[in-house]
Amino acid sequence: MAPPIRLTLPGTLRYRAIAVRAVAEAARLVSGSTQRDPNDALAHDVRDPFDTAVVSAFMEIFNNVAIHAYSRDGEASTIELTITPDADQIMIEIKDHGVPFDIDGVAPLPEELDEYTLPEGGMGIHIAKTMLDEVVYEPGPPNLWRLRKHLSAPAQQLRNGSSK
Amino acid sequence: MTLPFDVSRNGNEATLVIRGSLDINTAPALGEEIDRLVVTRPTKVLVDLVGLDLIDSSGVAALVKLYKAVRAAGGQVTITGARDQPLAIFKLLRMDKVFNL
Repeated sequence: MAPPIRLTLPGTLRYRAIAVRAVAEAARLVSGSTQRDPNDALAHDVRDPFDTAVVSAFMEIFNNVAIHAYSRDGEASTIELTITPDADQIMIEIKDHGVPFDIDGVAPLPEELDEYTLPEGGMGIHIAKTMLDEVVYEPGPPNLWRLRKHLSAPAQQLRNGSSK
Repeated sequence: MTLPFDVSRNGNEATLVIRGSLDINTAPALGEEIDRLVVTRPTKVLVDLVGLDLIDSSGVAALVKLYKAVRAAGGQVTITGARDQPLAIFKLLRMDKVFNL
């Protein structure tokens, strides 16, 4: 098994794209997906369902850390990212040294959605929890998010070229 | 930073073309553009998402803000072209039915 990918970034939104790119490429290692245009290194090319779930969830958690733990543009410490892509799953740990987040205070989405009840906020944690198999938050210091997504059996078969 | 959207007007109708990544870094600028657009009370707004590759909850919130504001003023919003990750997000949030995607 390859060692984890480790990345330490300033905890601001300016560095978000670097973290997202690293996670997207790590997800590709698990899913076996390829970019539409492999020569376009800057493309935001996320189509595979596994990649979509991992990248979508990670973006929300990174946003959450930069905004809530480090108050967006305020004084920020670091975000320590550990990405472990395995044969059938990816695990991502996101550690920060900021203000703990009240994950239990996140309101659920409205039961019935229409043009009047469409939410304009509070969707990030819902996206992460729904997209992934595991979202664990341990308030610190340091605060730790642990994310896990398994590759589905059919996706594993496709990746291994053994689909029937 | 290149903004990932263009707005064009034709009388009371507006077309908003969004491409690349609509996220927490780019959505605030779109929100300002939406504010400028909404005060003109357009009767129809077409939002073209064919070129949109990635969206996060901040980007979704910007589109919801546009949708609500135009509808509240009696206008129509048509969102077209959502695909891949953005479409998956709209479906997860159950907004695909509200937006008729």
